[in-house]
Amino acid sequence: MPETLVLPLEVRGLSFRYRSRESWALRDINLNLRPGEVMLLAGSSGCGKTTLMRCINGLIPLSYHGEKHGDVFLYGQSVQKMSLSQISTRVGTLLQDPERQILGTYVLNEVCFGLESLGLPRSEMLERAGQALKRLGIWHLRDHETFNTSGGEKQKVALAGVLAMQPQILLLDEPLASLDPASAHEALQTFRALADEGLAVMLVEHRVEDVLAIQPERVVYMEDGQVTYSGDSAGLMDVVDYTRIKLPASVVMRRAKGQPLPEFKPAVPALNPASQPLVEFRDVRFRYTPDSPEILHGLNLSVRAGEVIAILGHNGSGKTTTVKHALGLLKPTSGQVLLEGVDTTKTTVAWAARTVGYVFQSPTQMLFAPTVREELAFGPTNLGFSKPKIAENVEWAIETVHLQDELPTPPLALSFGQQKRVSIASVLSMRSRILMMDEPTAGQDYWNYQAFMDTILQTPGFDAIIFITHDLDLALIYANRVVMLFDGQVVADGSPREVLADEDQLRGWRVLPTSLLRMNQQYFPQTGRFLRAEALSQFASV
Amino acid sequence: MLVAWNYHYRNSPMDHIDPRARWIFSFAFLFAVTQTWNPQLLAGLFAIALVWYAMGRVSWKDARRGWLLISFMLFSMIVVNTIITGGGAGGVVPPGGQLVWPDGFSLFGRHLTYGLTVERLWFAISQLMRILGISLLFILIPYTMDSRAYGATFSKLGLPDRLAYTMELAFRFIPSLARNLAVTLDAQKARGFELEKVRGGLIKKIARIAPLLIPLTMNAILSSEDIANAMDLRGFGQRKRTWLFALQYHWWDWVLIAFSVVLLVGVTVLVHALGMGGFAVPAWFYTFFAG
Repeated sequence: MPETLVLPLEVRGLSFRYRSRESWALRDINLNLRPGEVMLLAGSSGCGKTTLMRCINGLIPLSYHGEKHGDVFLYGQSVQKMSLSQISTRVGTLLQDPERQILGTYVLNEVCFGLESLGLPRSEMLERAGQALKRLGIWHLRDHETFNTSGGEKQKVALAGVLAMQPQILLLDEPLASLDPASAHEALQTFRALADEGLAVMLVEHRVEDVLAIQPERVVYMEDGQVTYSGDSAGLMDVVDYTRIKLPASVVMRRAKGQPLPEFKPAVPALNPASQPLVEFRDVRFRYTPDSPEILHGLNLSVRAGEVIAILGHNGSGKTTTVKHALGLLKPTSGQVLLEGVDTTKTTVAWAARTVGYVFQSPTQMLFAPTVREELAFGPTNLGFSKPKIAENVEWAIETVHLQDELPTPPLALSFGQQKRVSIASVLSMRSRILMMDEPTAGQDYWNYQAFMDTILQTPGFDAIIFITHDLDLALIYANRVVMLFDGQVVADGSPREVLADEDQLRGWRVLPTSLLRMNQQYFPQTGRFLRAEALSQFASV
Repeated sequence: MLVAWNYHYRNSPMDHIDPRARWIFSFAFLFAVTQTWNPQLLAGLFAIALVWYAMGRVSWKDARRGWLLISFMLFSMIVVNTIITGGGAGGVVPPGGQLVWPDGFSLFGRHLTYGLTVERLWFAISQLMRILGISLLFILIPYTMDSRAYGATFSKLGLPDRLAYTMELAFRFIPSLARNLAVTLDAQKARGFELEKVRGGLIKKIARIAPLLIPLTMNAILSSEDIANAMDLRGFGQRKRTWLFALQYHWWDWVLIAFSVVLLVGVTVLVHALGMGGFAVPAWFYTFFAG
């Protein structure tokens, strides 16, 4: 039978249980994928999406062991009868974090890695790599060091490395997670184009609304290791719980109409514009070394009590560099950063930590204690709090992130999403006046991050909250001020309504308007402020 | 993500030598220098190492951190171990010998006696020449060898693909570890942790730096799993590998390889056939301590 008449991917009765776990990660999965199709695979964290991908690309059973029933067929051939190199020429996998996938130190070497493994001659490697790099518009990066490329570029480099192997099936595991909105949009367009050229594309993604823009032929929704929906995207809108995955605002408004509204009352104090700034940036310029390019170009910014600030900006715009200055982790090359009026060049980070609680992006880079309780006590102990105060703070912090049952558990034994919440709680327990969070929702599913942000914003004790995000909706729902960074400068600063008003301007800053933003702008005359979709439904006539 | 050493092209003589020839020379030197304590041979080998290092045109600024680490190691081994505590010379330096300060010496108005012998002092100098010579050769590698060349070089030197690529990954481990340490240190500082305030005995100190060591170790483990998966997903190790990085010998590489062979064989013959390898103190060195 000619290969083109056989389905690229068929999953038949697939169940899998990891060796170390009692519950089944996958239960009786049946699905197939045709050439030219984009399949969106959605579901909450832990629903089995990644396990399914591992069964398809051969990492199960090679790297992850357990009990498996059923089978996966690639062009009619069982993966159990294929070597990994055979699978890798048919199935290309792009992981969520390109940093976990990139092996080469230079772009061209990275793209050729798989081709080297296939034993291809150098001339063919160069030809194939050149095609992949040009296809993704990154030919100019071929001699760049991979480490020095931006987040969006890294993802394209990783994808080029996959495409160079000329797979017929592309597995994409949350490929938009670390990308700014414009880069995510470009990536999606690329995936669509690849499918249109005949590839079969399986796309695992939380950002359902974004993916719907490329009109996936099929949408599969998974819960607890099972497929609970398989069909077109229109059908998904009606069956899936809209609090579990992010659907277009109009859909949520329609479905939430008449439903009881979630109560949300931010707890930060009322804003007093005349108050002294808690943090003040005065014409801050920064470069890492005297020879390296300048990252921040004369940044001016003040943070006052009562502010909930969302810092938006493209990959590499200087967001993380900016917030690290507030804590004194980085010192300005010129200019001043004042924390409660004190120049951060004259203080220690430990001193600053009493005022600023900073939650890093990656929890694994900070968690160390034998139990969650000790992890949470670490910060307040360093700050010299009394034992009763430490115990009180730990209890409060763990309740805030809904992980009370995990206090005796080793933090490193928890899932990634839970580790993220523990890392946030470990900063909350210091009861700092200002809370700064770098991508607080990264690696968490929609329900969890909404619940977490609701809790944080409604928790009394913070004078100001600052969060870095690529999620525009997060900014417009939770922030009362938006700071837009572009190429190391503040290009807009004001209320969400002011900063997010001009769609063309937003596109210029590599931020794309969302359906929720548009709905909020439409209903602003009635609402007078930006609201989440459920709340907007009260004003809508749909 | 694994990162590479801070290599950049300097158009130095070293940049034009095939990496395979460099490794062959470096190992020939290593095996030659570790065979002997003979002062003339050590001095000659040390001079070769200095010339080799100069060929790299690596600035102090570039290699400063590496040299600080080596200085610490040399200080511990030579000053503390050999000179101060009198260890490390067993089986090489014969017992007894001429005291450097036979009548003792005065320090801050107090008369002190210290049993450092001329022989042990010369042994310290010999150790310095040997270890510094090896360091001069090997510290040059990360700063002067293109990170793309490691795997191909080891493979062309005859190592199996898996081992050749493992060597490449091993070379990138240290700078990657340094980068992860910096991130973890920042994250813990943000929780009020102050490395400078770590006090107490060794056990207590280790316990106090657990907030750095554990995340660093965990990240290294997780990262190794990621790397293995990323390699597997692109068919690594399933068939004979080709390498993008092209290596080509030039006539000067063959000259260097021939020199390496002559050096190693020559020193081996001098040491084992002609008995020149033994430890000896040059007569002129005693004249400094004669009075």
